[in-house]
Parts: sequence; structure tokens; C-alpha cells
Amino acid sequence: MNQWEVFVMDMAELAEGKDLALSIRTLNPGRHKYTYKHVRCQVSTDLDKHPDRLQVRMGRGQLSTAKFSIQVIEEIRRLPPQYA
Amino acid sequence: MSKISAPRSNREFIEACVQAGDAVRIKQEVDWENEAGAIVRRACELGAAAPFMEKIKDYPGFSYFGAPLSTYRRMAISLGMDPASSLPEIGKEYLKRTNSEPIAPVVIDRKDAPCKENILMGADVDLCKLPVPLVHDGDGGRYVGTWHAVVTKHPVRGDVNWGMYRQMMFDSRTMSGAVFPFSDLGKQLTEYYLPRGLSCPFATAIGLSPLAAMAACAPSPIPEPELVGMLSGEPARLVKCETNDLEVPADAEIIIEGEICPDYKVEEGPFGEYTGYRTSPRDFRVTFRVNCITYRNNATMTISNMGVPQDEGQLLRSFSLGLELEKLLRSQGIPVTGVYMHPRSTHHMMIVGVKPSYSGIAQQIGQLAFGSKLGPWFHMVMVVDDQTDIYNWDEVYHAFCTRCHPENGIHVYRNTTGTPLYPFATPQERKYSIGSKVVFDCLWPVDWDKVNDVPTLVSFKNVYPQDIQDRVLANWTAYGYPEVKK
Ligand SMILES: Cc1cc2nc3c(=O)[nH]c(=O)nc-3n(C[C@H](O)[C@H](O)[C@H](O)COP(=O)(O)O)c2cc1C
Repeated sequence: MNQWEVFVMDMAELAEGKDLALSIRTLNPGRHKYTYKHVRCQVSTDLDKHPDRLQVRMGRGQLSTAKFSIQVIEEIRRLPPQYA
Repeated sequence: MSKISAPRSNREFIEACVQAGDAVRIKQEVDWENEAGAIVRRACELGAAAPFMEKIKDYPGFSYFGAPLSTYRRMAISLGMDPASSLPEIGKEYLKRTNSEPIAPVVIDRKDAPCKENILMGADVDLCKLPVPLVHDGDGGRYVGTWHAVVTKHPVRGDVNWGMYRQMMFDSRTMSGAVFPFSDLGKQLTEYYLPRGLSCPFATAIGLSPLAAMAACAPSPIPEPELVGMLSGEPARLVKCETNDLEVPADAEIIIEGEICPDYKVEEGPFGEYTGYRTSPRDFRVTFRVNCITYRNNATMTISNMGVPQDEGQLLRSFSLGLELEKLLRSQGIPVTGVYMHPRSTHHMMIVGVKPSYSGIAQQIGQLAFGSKLGPWFHMVMVVDDQTDIYNWDEVYHAFCTRCHPENGIHVYRNTTGTPLYPFATPQERKYSIGSKVVFDCLWPVDWDKVNDVPTLVSFKNVYPQDIQDRVLANWTAYGYPEVKK
């Protein structure tokens, strides 16, 4: 199971049952911990619904007690090709 | 100028600090995730020696040097001065050196440049190969640049800029940073690169000599490579980058080369800031794409941990903002006795000592200060007379509380330039860098009769004849008091 974290200004950004575009960072241990991916995903407060876990921080870094499960559907490539 | 023997690299500086008892070697393994940051933070809050962390979890061969310039002792060492030098002595030396002739840098051959000992290009480029620390728990990311210089060049004018603008690692090849619109790089981007949709080459240099770092965060109009030369009394040694035409300090520990993207933005922040808070929200900010990383063998990454006082952001910025304002005021013929920013004000209050020779001088000082390039970084100017010791907060505070008229002595300026980091600013003001400013005029008005209107200061120094003062001082211990340390 992968562990992810997201920063939001408002919990409403994490609407359940909808496709969301989020920048999430990996909390998996190792050298790449805290690097981001921009993804299309679904989240749920039902921790058994999706395969991975998502932890939430608010805009100034405060850790939320809310816990989600998350399904990463795909990585969104926003990077213009000239920088690839 | 007499020969200066200032440390020429971060390594020489660490050695000098260790010798003077101003750095400790930490041999046990330290975690890059929070632990290193917490050590640096505690050292800052205690005013303790700088931690040189020699073993980092997951990153054999790398080390950290934290809180490089968060005490005046280390600032004196960086200038090649006696660590016990007083703040006014350090300030005098800074003014002397920065008023001297510019010293042009030299460009050395890449084979002689220590920063080229290891080179990562193409698919090998990965910022995660560097021990990028998570400085504060809850930060938006691991910060690559906390004590560094971002090197850029104006493509037409050719002006070189080294600026310390924080940089967060977004992914293996991307960093994002807070480059304020009123900074030199901010202006370069909005004036030239962004309107043309052009990417701006950059190079981030980490683990600089302390004087190069000092130059990168000094608000001086002198181009930083020359400024380093003036501060250190010898030419800065530069070397050409691998993937662009920029020149970087050859003795730096780590160089990250790349381009600032005009058409791609990723999120940055939040981050613990010099005000002692996390104020600016997470947002899409200036985005740096990395093309190459070069570094020395056994590279040391420098870490500044900003938070409550006092760290080098506060100490050094207060120091250089104050002295640069002093230069500006003197250049305008204002009879100042000195300018001082207490680092604990998180560089928000300028204290200016002046001979009150004409009406409105406090407002003139405030207007010059706020209207200058330095202005966005502070919002309070307190003007005291030439009899008040600007370095002695007790005297300044007494002057403020007793001489500043609540109606006539407080002058507020609205809708000025501010920073998005002002904790007191409204969310709207932060979003658009809108500031407001205040001058506290603690001078006796010049139209008051000096004999009948101006109150007499009742102090040991001011009310007793000199012979009585001398007698009391000479007999102090004989009266039974312990000796008073100067
Ligand atoms: C530790 C530290 C971090 C800083 N971070 C930033 C930053 O993220 N953005 C910024 O615009 N200025 C930042 N500053 C202030 C600039 O370094 C300073 O304004 C410097 O003079 C930049 O030069 P310029 O504005 O003249 O280009 C920081 C200063 C320090 C000491």
C-alpha cells in the first residue's frame, strides 16, 4: 500500500466519488519521499474503498485528523514537452 | 585596503568556526527528515554553535552545515575578524569594505573548479541524489535552497544577479520557489522573460563561502560577484556552467543548473519563514526545471532554518538592510549617527539615529527608506536623536514611549509595497504584496524651546557633573558593589 499526502485549503477540495486532479506527494520511505506527482484520482473516507492511503495537511502545514483512501487513476503530464 | 583573511569557501569557514568553538561536529547519523532541521532550529533559538552534521541517513558521503551565520560571532569569522568583535565594529568593517573599489571576479578553468568533481546530466539528474532536508515538519516540501544563491543574467543588459530565493524540491527534476515581484530576479522575469515566453537560464549554488552567501542576500546595488570581491578583498573565483553561459562560484559545494519555465508552474510552500511563522500559503510559483547537477566530493549542504529569532535570515538581513539604508541616507546628506535593525524585529523595524537639525527629518528618513529598494522588507522606521544609543533597546524603547507623540509623531503610509509574508497583513494585502508603513518620530520638535519646552533627561550620564560621575565610578567597588562589566 502506498502512502500519499495532499495539501488543501478546504476539505471540500476532496470530494468523494468524483475524479479529482491533485498534486500528491509520496510518504513511502526512501530517498524520493515527499516528491510530488500530479494525478487524476478518486478519494474516499472509507479506508477500505481504495488501495492507497491519503493523509491531509491544510494550507499552513497543519496535519488534519481526516484520513482517506485513494485510487490513483493516472499521472497527469502537465510538463510542456520542451522541458522533458 | 589591509589584507583580509576571510574564509574563501564553506569548508574553510566550517574549519574556522570549529576552531573558534562556534561550530560542533556531529558524528552520529542524523535524519534528513526533520531531525537535521530540528537541530538547526534549536541551535538558532539558543544562539548555540553551528551544527556540522557529518553523517546523514540515506546519503553517505554528504554532510550538512546548519545555521551558518546566525550569530554575530560567526558573522565576524566570515569577515575574517576577531569573533569577539562588537556589532558596531562589524558594521563599520562592512561599510568600509562595501564602499571600497569593486573587485572583478576571475573565471577559472573547469578542471580547477572543485564544484565539478561530480557531474550528473541527462537521465542521471535527480535532486533526490542530494540530501535535500525536510527543514520543518509540515513544510510543503524538502527545501533544496535555504542558504544559497540563484544565479541569473539579464540577457540584454548582461547584469548578473545572485539572489537567495527559497527553492523547494517538487520532483526529481523540478523545483519551485518564492521569487518576490520586487526582487531583482522577479523584475528580470516580469520585464523580460515572461512577456516573451522565454525560459530563463539559472544556476543554484549551495554551500557558498559565507561572504558569497552574504552578498546573495544583501540588498546592495553592487553586482554580487564584485560585492564578494569587495567583502573578501580578493576576486571571487567563478567557473562556467555545463549547460548554460552562467558563471558560478567555483568553490561552491553543489551547483544545480537549469531553466526557469515561463509556461509551467507547480505548487510551492508552505514554508517556515523569517517572520517566525508560516504565513504565505501554498501557491503556484516560479518553477525551475533542472538539467544538470554538479557537486564536490563529500559535499556539504548548507541549511538555514527560518523561524522565531534568531536565524541568519533575521541576523544578516537586519545587518545589511540597516547598513545599506545608512549608506543611502548619508548619500542624501542626512546627518545620521547610525542605522540599526534588531534581528528580533525579524527585520521589520529600522532604528535610525539622527541629529535633529530641521523639521520633518524623521518623515524624510521614512520616505527615503520606504521608497527605496529596501522598503518592501520592513514597515516601521523609528527615528531617535543622536544622544540615544541605537544599539541599546532600553534607551530606544524609553525614547519611543516618552517622546513619540501619539498624534503628531506617528505617520502612516498606505498602499505601499509589502511582502506576501507579513503576518499582520490581510489576506488580500498578502496576495498582492500590498504594504502599509509607519514612522515613529521620537525626536523633540525643532520648534520647541530647547530650555523651556524640551524636558531634561534624568540619567546618571546627563544630570551629574563630570567630577561627580568620575568619583562615583572610581569608588563603585569601594561602596561595596561588584565591578560592572562593560
Ligand atoms: C534565508 C533567506 C531566504 C530568503 N528567501 C527569499 C525568497 O524566497 N524570495 C525572495 O524574494 N527573497 C528571499 N530572501 C531575501 C533575498 O535574498 C534578498 O532580498 C536579496 O537581496 C535578493 O536580492 P535582490 O532582491 O536584490 O535580487 C531570502 C533571504 C534569506 C536570508
